[in-house]
Amino acid sequence: MPFKVVLLFLHPTFGVLGTLAAVWVFVEALNATDANQRRIWIASLTVAGLFILTCFFAGWFYTVYYHGGDQQIILKGPVPWAHSFFMETKEHLFFIPFILALYLPFVARLRLSANKPARLMVLVVSALIVLEGLALEGAGAIINWGAKTALAQTAQTMTSPANVEKKVR
Amino acid sequence: MMAPTPNTHGPSVDAEKENTAAAWGLSAAITVVFNVVLAFVKDSWPALNSVMASLTGHHWRTHALADVIVFVLLGSFFTARRIPGGKLTNGLAVTVGAATVIASLALGLWFLFV
Repeated sequence: MPFKVVLLFLHPTFGVLGTLAAVWVFVEALNATDANQRRIWIASLTVAGLFILTCFFAGWFYTVYYHGGDQQIILKGPVPWAHSFFMETKEHLFFIPFILALYLPFVARLRLSANKPARLMVLVVSALIVLEGLALEGAGAIINWGAKTALAQTAQTMTSPANVEKKVR
Repeated sequence: MMAPTPNTHGPSVDAEKENTAAAWGLSAAITVVFNVVLAFVKDSWPALNSVMASLTGHHWRTHALADVIVFVLLGSFFTARRIPGGKLTNGLAVTVGAATVIASLALGLWFLFV
């Protein structure tokens, strides 16, 4: 498997794991006691770590490989808005859950069972990370579909009976 | 960042942790809005996009660095100055939530219509 493809698969993998870790933080915070306080803090560090990895691998793929490859294919296909809307939004939207993920450990280390505003902050921040993470994954699927549709159209054109006949002549 | 423990450090350590959480929470809310404003300005002013691209080789990398720098600088500044008052409040949680929702919707509408 080419390195570029490995890189492409790594960023949504870490993104999904980061989103799942945010679900973990949310559920633990709903039931916050002194007994699970340390677990909440560890889960929040896991969210931050996984989003840092997502940023690193997504940024690597996007800045090095995307423009010369997938973007050109999508823009020449039947759904160019998969890039012009979904990718353009996704590349900037990502920074929002990223910043929230970096912030989460600062508030998750407080004693949530005794501090209601801190517990509310953890619930709000982790829920937003989950919702934005899901939106980013959905956008990624549409971008992937945009490239696939463009390639399918090209393959159809090349293998249509009229074109095959032309080549034979 | 110290690991959390039940309240065995005394009130001053907890108060300091809460001051830090409040300060960095406000910083996160402002950074989220800054991120979207930078995206709008960059998208409508190609010269800025080019300058950002020339700094790190790609405008996205510079954008990421700018967001992190703003987050860290504001977080450190607010912590030192005890802004917004050294305590977490429900209002601050609502501010972070509202900033995130409004910024995300604005970003989507911008790339849909502009």
